[in-house]
Amino acid sequence: MTKWYRENAPITAVKLADELMRLKRGSVTRRHFLGVTGLGLATAVLARQPGLFNSTAFAGDLGSQMSIATWPNYHDPATFEAFTAATGVAVEVNVFGSNEEMLAKLQAGGTGWDLFVPTNYTISTYVKLGLIDELDLSQLSNYDPSTQNARFTHEGMVDGKTYAVPKNWGTTGIAVNSSKIKAPVSSWKDFFEVAMTEADGRTMVHDYQLTTIGNALVSLGYSFNSIKPDELAKAEELLLRVKPHLYAINSDYQPAMRATDAWMTMCWTNDGAQLNRDMPEIAYVLGKDGGEIWTDFYAIPKSAANKPAGYALLNYLMAPQNAVKEHIANGAPTTDSRVLKLLPEEVTSNKIVYPDEASLRPLEFGAAVTLTDPGRAELMARFKAA
Amino acid sequence: MRALISSVYLFLYAPIALVVLFSFNAGRSASEFTGFSTAWYGKALGNSFLVSALQNSLMIAFTSAVLAAVFGTMAALGMERLGPRTRALFDALLAAAIVVPGVVIGIATLVALVALFSFVNPALAILWPGERPPQLGLGYGSIIAAHGLFSMALVTMIVKARIAGLGRDIVEASSDLYATPLTTFRLIVLPQILPSILAGFLLAFTFSFDDFIIAFFVAGSKTTLPIYVFASIRRGVTPEINAIATMVLAASLALILSARLLMREKKSKSGE
Amino acid sequence: MRAMNRKRNLATAALVAPAAAWLAVFLVLPFIAMLVFAFGERAPEGGYQPAFTFAQFANLPTRATAFWNTLMLAPAGALLCLLVAYPTAYYLAVKANPRYRLILVSLVVVPFWTSLLVRTYAWMYILGSRGIPNLLSMIGIEDVRLLNTPGAVLLGIVYGYLPLMIMPIYVSLERLDRRLLEASADLGAKPVSTFFGVTLPLSLPGVMTGVALVTILLLGEYLIPQLLGGGKVFFIGNALVDLFLQSRNWPFGSAIAVTLVAVVVVVLMLAMRIAWKIAGTRQVDLV
Repeated sequence: MTKWYRENAPITAVKLADELMRLKRGSVTRRHFLGVTGLGLATAVLARQPGLFNSTAFAGDLGSQMSIATWPNYHDPATFEAFTAATGVAVEVNVFGSNEEMLAKLQAGGTGWDLFVPTNYTISTYVKLGLIDELDLSQLSNYDPSTQNARFTHEGMVDGKTYAVPKNWGTTGIAVNSSKIKAPVSSWKDFFEVAMTEADGRTMVHDYQLTTIGNALVSLGYSFNSIKPDELAKAEELLLRVKPHLYAINSDYQPAMRATDAWMTMCWTNDGAQLNRDMPEIAYVLGKDGGEIWTDFYAIPKSAANKPAGYALLNYLMAPQNAVKEHIANGAPTTDSRVLKLLPEEVTSNKIVYPDEASLRPLEFGAAVTLTDPGRAELMARFKAA
Repeated sequence: MRALISSVYLFLYAPIALVVLFSFNAGRSASEFTGFSTAWYGKALGNSFLVSALQNSLMIAFTSAVLAAVFGTMAALGMERLGPRTRALFDALLAAAIVVPGVVIGIATLVALVALFSFVNPALAILWPGERPPQLGLGYGSIIAAHGLFSMALVTMIVKARIAGLGRDIVEASSDLYATPLTTFRLIVLPQILPSILAGFLLAFTFSFDDFIIAFFVAGSKTTLPIYVFASIRRGVTPEINAIATMVLAASLALILSARLLMREKKSKSGE
Repeated sequence: MRAMNRKRNLATAALVAPAAAWLAVFLVLPFIAMLVFAFGERAPEGGYQPAFTFAQFANLPTRATAFWNTLMLAPAGALLCLLVAYPTAYYLAVKANPRYRLILVSLVVVPFWTSLLVRTYAWMYILGSRGIPNLLSMIGIEDVRLLNTPGAVLLGIVYGYLPLMIMPIYVSLERLDRRLLEASADLGAKPVSTFFGVTLPLSLPGVMTGVALVTILLLGEYLIPQLLGGGKVFFIGNALVDLFLQSRNWPFGSAIAVTLVAVVVVVLMLAMRIAWKIAGTRQVDLV
């Protein structure tokens, strides 16, 4: 270093380190630090370059587009069309087959979702990983916690803060095409047996560790949420035995069931109701031996590009008069007593949508640990790759 | 023999015919024909997400193909003057860029960029003077870069093969006549290698336009046409997809035909 | 003179610099990152955390079936492709009326202009129960299942890669000197022996190119098994995608990706060795 340079340098190395430490200790503001070091100008210039990589900018208004990540056949397309008509914001719908897939996308970064639909057991993990923000309830005037059924909605709160608000609850049962399958199916034990006999080559399981492994565990008499290695090993054995007899491993089973390519599938309430509505020969049954009861929530990713639109759509969906249309089309049961009052009798009396309390008793809510347990994740991947 | 060939063409075109047929379906489904209608063409063009996915795909394919054509040609020209070792290394890297499966390219690029961003973004956050520091993320840039990698290697290979087939004597004759290297390039070399550059460009464009797996990993929040189609297969394909596919097919057929006609005209003119 | 040389070197450097930078940043760097990840650990919630372990590579046998499927179905698909492509290319290059040849050849390429995804989706319909099985049930054959089987995947592979196989074979056959065929016929060889003695050996380079190209592309295939295999017929590409998009096991995924690249390199070298061998002996024969 020449003497000239030393004297004219904007800041010396020692001084820079010094200022950096002060910044870290919090004794200077970032603005001061950047002013002293002259780095602010450089970064400002760099970052304003119309970049190779897109930068997320703050959107003051609602913008013209937003994106939602949700499940197959889960919304009434008319809902989004009405929202677009009201606000001018077009809604892109992305469909996923499992919570794991949603989590993987969010972890890899840059999803572009402004709203998504995680299931109850995943929310604490999203909070822990810092992938979702606490909801600003002041922007959700249509949401009323007092009309919500706490049995289904408590997992949206973590440490007393609301991170997610409920969309609907539901169950995971079995859809059976009774014109093709004559054997009685009333439990997960039956499901796997019939899959290897009468429904050979015509049965679908979810591409989703929670339900596929969970229901296999239930059929063997274990807990839906087990992560015990010996129980998982037994479940794996069963799944590998069933695999050659399966039609497909896919969470979007409606098209195959409607085309009668598949005759029996693991099935969520809403799909069961939709299938049964259009094809009465397809029955929806809950496992006597157990299975899943769940609630899906709406949450806003921390990385959302258009949060104002995310809040706007969420608030729109929370309005009972909008939610009721969603519930009629989608066929999943509501958690909101205001919506329940508005629903027509034929929906509330539908046993697929609102089953007896007795048939719900064996069911379990998914446990947070299953989402991150490496044993279950690897079992599912092995099962598919086998 | 005839029968075999006809069945091969039937095999190739039956699915395409089906795609086109269902684009004129009146019903909502892309698998049950309920009547003739052109409504889905209007709907496809009115669907801002589908249209922007198409625009993204065209933009990405064009940019990556142009970059690949320019840089690939430059590399092909420069490579023959490299030392043997550097050249062998270069050749190996180009071959690798071509043979490494797309799925690996996608994953490796994702892994590397996510790792890179995890250093760069916090640094930006500290150094940024304003309230909201910009965040580097996956997007157009990463797709173009990953597509360009394969395309550039492809163009280099094609143009290099063409240069190798070029007569050296004509180039030497030109420089003997005191033409500057640039003039020699412009008047002698370029016209000779132009067809292979164009071929490379077209291949690069087609590759990028049709690629799903690389973009699937590195697109971040951006949607290309194949990504949109893949997502639609999951959410239930409507004839919108068939309509847009039919339009793309028609447009490319028109392009090929007009290029053919243009070339024929040129030929017959120069023949006169 | 030295100045001129330096200028020349500078020009060369300038010419190759962009390509070199691109290769370094988007090929070498990602590959190094992947290699580093492959020795790491899955973070508790998924993703990657730094470590130095061979555990990921030790876990590779759990994906043996996917590797095996890939190593069997990729060459099988390529050979099946060849079986359809060779007569087609032969017809186009030798038998077809020259007036229509160009059109017929273009028609082989045109399918490339519609998205492979959309075309594969069309196959989902054709093979699904509303397609061929429906037609079969009309003549009394009930409950045929085609979709989501290895057969469906093979069919999709042949369909998707056929043009890639036809083109190199066509080019090599088209370049064939027709006088050789005439000479062979003049010397009294039967068409069959002309084919096996002259045509086939001369088209072998094209065949080798096609088979190697298709096999290598198939080793990384994801879409066709995903759509036509129902998530049941797994290629290693599918196992790979699954590890990133479902179980979020980045280190294991990286280890598999590294292994896949190694497999590709081995297959490529094998193909090249075979090609040299064939080309070498054939040339001797011809002399």
